[in-house]
Order: sequence, then structure tokens, then C-alpha cells
Amino acid sequence: MSSIKMFEKPLGMRDTFPITYEKTEEVRQIGREFLRARGFDFIQTPSLEYFDTVGKASAIYDASLFKLVDSQGNTLVLRPDMTTPIARVATSKLLKEKIPLRLAYFANVFRAQQTEGGRPAEFGQMGIEIIGDGSVFADAEVIMTVIHLIQAFGIDSFKITIGHAGVLNCILKDYTESMEQAVALRTLLVERNYVGFEQAVESFNLPKTKSDALLQFISEATNFVTIQDIEKYVRKNDALEYMQQLVELIDAANLSEYVALDFTLSSHMNYYTGMLFEVFAEGSGFALGNGGRYDGLLHHFGTKVGATGFGIRVDRLLEVIPSKPTTSESIGVIFEEEALFIKALEMANSFREEGKRVTLQSRKGLVDENAFAKHFDQILYVSQEDLVE
Amino acid sequence: MSHLTIAMPKGRIFEEAYQMLIEAGFNLPEEVEMSRKLMIEIPEEQIRFILAKPTDVPVYVEHGVADLGIAGKDTLLELRRNVHELLDLKISQCYIASAGLPNTTMNEIAPRIATKYPNIAMNYYKEIGEQVEIIELNGSIELAPMIGLADRIVDIVSTGRTLKENGLVEYEHITDVSSRLIANPVSYRMKSSRIQELVSRMKKIVI
Repeated sequence: MSSIKMFEKPLGMRDTFPITYEKTEEVRQIGREFLRARGFDFIQTPSLEYFDTVGKASAIYDASLFKLVDSQGNTLVLRPDMTTPIARVATSKLLKEKIPLRLAYFANVFRAQQTEGGRPAEFGQMGIEIIGDGSVFADAEVIMTVIHLIQAFGIDSFKITIGHAGVLNCILKDYTESMEQAVALRTLLVERNYVGFEQAVESFNLPKTKSDALLQFISEATNFVTIQDIEKYVRKNDALEYMQQLVELIDAANLSEYVALDFTLSSHMNYYTGMLFEVFAEGSGFALGNGGRYDGLLHHFGTKVGATGFGIRVDRLLEVIPSKPTTSESIGVIFEEEALFIKALEMANSFREEGKRVTLQSRKGLVDENAFAKHFDQILYVSQEDLVE
Repeated sequence: MSHLTIAMPKGRIFEEAYQMLIEAGFNLPEEVEMSRKLMIEIPEEQIRFILAKPTDVPVYVEHGVADLGIAGKDTLLELRRNVHELLDLKISQCYIASAGLPNTTMNEIAPRIATKYPNIAMNYYKEIGEQVEIIELNGSIELAPMIGLADRIVDIVSTGRTLKENGLVEYEHITDVSSRLIANPVSYRMKSSRIQELVSRMKKIVI
């Protein structure tokens, strides 16, 4: 290991320069107004949590957690997601005051990078949680909200793919001969290894009807156009009915063009028991965000209520959002000597009242006047004549 | 029709995969002038090939600068990139195995394994309940047991000739390897119809 140089930052940590900062603030503002108008209340939770509470319950892999030790010897984590801290605060306090809760957040989360650069270890996340509502309408609200939110950012080309853990588990259970086989297939789907899935099905020596059904399922299941396409694979059950209802609601809201069904969608965390989805947009190589129903997490915190929500990564959102020119005009006011300071200040303030961005700068403090002037749309000099006027 | 960027490994796999695409009915020129080009544009099909080192293909695909790619299963297992594995092309088939000098057992205290695949080797020995020390090498892995650097090697085997010529024997078959068609998760969604069409056409060609 080479020694650390003065300019270095820990792996995956990034500085936010003015241009990115402004863009992020804009995203925050649009998101905040949008979500507040839909009845969501913003909250914030601490950056540090106990490993034993939030760290263990989080859906983020253990190896990605930043861990610290406090002065009492407890292991702490930098929050790796917002859903888990919100589940903690909701179950311990907020649910006693209001149910269902509609909460929103815009916060930085931390995930350690092991391998390489190219992705941040600290990034902004914006999202919502509806806690204490187990109905399909809450899930529909989450999906409608994510679609409209993305549209509010001016993004046109995006897709939400929805699946349901219950439907998938039913299929895997029905067409395999043992629990182990079903688990093995589910693991392959979490990794999105469709080739491995086919090979595993062939290696299980299942009755031909079962293996044929699974192979056909895997070749079709990522591209279902309508909910009817899945019906031949599943016997009638609650999960299927739930999805039928959800699709009807999305249709009724006129949003089906943004939605695709993918019943192979699966999460490595077993508390995602219901519908789950991923958000993709053109312009980023990585998924924009994800969401779903996580009743199991609330149970983990000791409260038996339903919960659903989504989170969007702000860093990826910034890649995708169409950039637009900055609107406010910037003016530099340069004054020569002390006597002119008051005059220059008055001038600057009157421009500021007009909503312009004004920098006041004495000439004495400048090293290279021309280089400085390049940063402004307009440069004004306060001279002796202004004083005479 | 959306534009597709396909990352291909240079060399023999490129040629075989390229032939498969032609057989699948894609309108590609019979001969491509490879020489030192890193990018090949096929305007008729709205396809662009980028030619990369085989182990880099999953990296291009994961970051989304290529929508699709062709990568060996060995590379995929080793790098564990977040990509979708769509189709087994069944080309350049071989397997990963452990090998060593004949009639030897591994050192009991600290068995040493030389390999280009540290993750695959580590995972394999973990699975069978053996704690080993990995020594990462980049080539001529067969040397390691011969000169006493390691007890076993974990490497790719196609015919077994290299092992035999160096007086080594195969001990354990670890996993089968062949070339796979992989996709970036976002492209898989946003260019879904094009990718699905390509997959179903290729699927018919795979023997």
C-alpha cells in the first residue's frame, strides 16, 4: 500500500462541486414540493445507527457496511439505506401518532466499495414509505408516485418492472420436488442468471411436465405484456389476485405504458414478501431505483403492519435528467478604492433586489482581473464618475 | 429501431460468435477487417461491436457502455459483475479444475493454491470446507506445483494436454465453462424488444 497523498479521499467518496450541488438542490426542491403536495411528510434520521438494529436488518450486504465502534464498544454503522431507519422510528414512535404514515426522505446513504471506482460510496437517495397500510391501494400509490415523480424531473424514457415474491414462490414450489430446489432456483434469479436457471432445471431430473413448464416460464417471464400471460403458470392464489388488482389500478390511472411485468424479479432479502419493482431510465447503465412491499421488515421490528415504498438514487437521477441552462444572470461588481465601497455596495444590492446574482469584489484583492471576469455574464466597474453623479 | 452496442472478446471467440450472428440472419459483412480496430460499426443492422480483452467484457456491460456482451463463464464467476446472463452460446467449452503433482496431498497446515481465479478458487475450497491460501498468478500457472510454490493449481482445462506435458494430474472438476451472452440490466429493459429478438434468433443457432 502506498502512503496516502494529501489530495486523496477514501474509496468511493466524492466532492460535490458547485454545478452538481445546484443540480442536486433543484432535484431536492422539485421532489420536495411534489411529494409534500401528495401528503408525504419529510423526515430525517441520524447518520449513525447501531449495527445490531439497523445494520443487521438492512437489505444491504454486510460487506458494504461502514462500521465504527463507539466509546462503549458498540458497533455502529453509517446508515446504508433509509428504509430501515424509518422502519425503526415508525415502529417505535410515529405509528402511535398516525396510521397509516406517509413519510418521505432525501438523504445521503453510505455503502462501502471493495472493488473499484466508478461508483460512489456515499450518495443521495430520495424516496417514500407508506407504513401501516397493507392494501393494494398503497402499492398502487407507490407505483403511481414514482412514475409521476420521474416525469416531474422531465424524464420521458423510463420503465418500471414489477414482480411479486408470492407469485414467484408459488411457481417455484409447484414445479420443483423439494424446498432446496426452489431455493436454488430463486438464488439464480436474484443473480439474474437465466442460463444457470435452465441448467439447474435440467439437472434436477424433474418430471417432464414440470421442467418444461419452468423452462417455458423462464423464457417468457421477463416479457409478459399482460397479467393474463402469467395465469397459466400459477394456480389461483392471493398473490396472483393481488397482482391482477394492482395491474387494474395502474391501467385505470392510465400509466400502463410505463410498466412491464417481470415475475422473475426477486430480492436476496426474504422480508420482501409481496410486490417488488425496479426503475430503469435511459441514460444510466444502472437501475435508477427500486421499491416494493416489505411487511417482513416491520415484523422484524416487532410491529405487524404493512409497509411499502420506493427509493431513487439521486446520483443516477442526475445522469439521466436533461440538463437545462442556468437562468439567473451573474454580475461582478469591481470597485477600485475604499471611497467607492459604499457606492459599489448600493449598486450590488439594487441588482440583488432584482433577483440577480451579484459578487462584490475589490480590485485590491484580485490577482488576475481578466481571469476573474470570465466567470461572470457581466462585469461592472465602480469608478470616480459614479461617485460624482 | 434502437442502437445496440455489443462488447466482444478479441480473437477466436469473436470469430465464432460473429459467425453465429451471421447464421442467425444478421446482415453482417462476411469478412471484418480486424487488425487494430477497437470498434466496428454495422450501420445496416444498427449494431456496433467493441472489441475488448475477454476479462473486461463484463465491466463494459455492467457500466452500460455496452448493452450486450459475450463473456466466458469463468470471467463471470470470477468478477461477479451485476449483469444478466441470457444465453449459453456453447462455444469455447472447457472447465475449471484443480490439479497438482501426482499422488500428493495438500499441506495440512497451510495449503497453497496458485491461480488466475482467486475468487473462484477461494469459493470452491470454502464450499468443501478447506481453508487455503491463494497465490494469484497471471500465466504459466502449471509452474507453481512443479517448483514448489503451491500444492494445487486452479485453472481452466480444455484438453488436458498442458497439464500432462507438465507432469500434472487433475484432482477436482470445479465447474464447466463456456461463452455466455450477457446484458446490462438497464439495456435489458429499455431495449427489451431488440434484445429479446436477438436472443431468440441466437437460441436457434446454439447447438
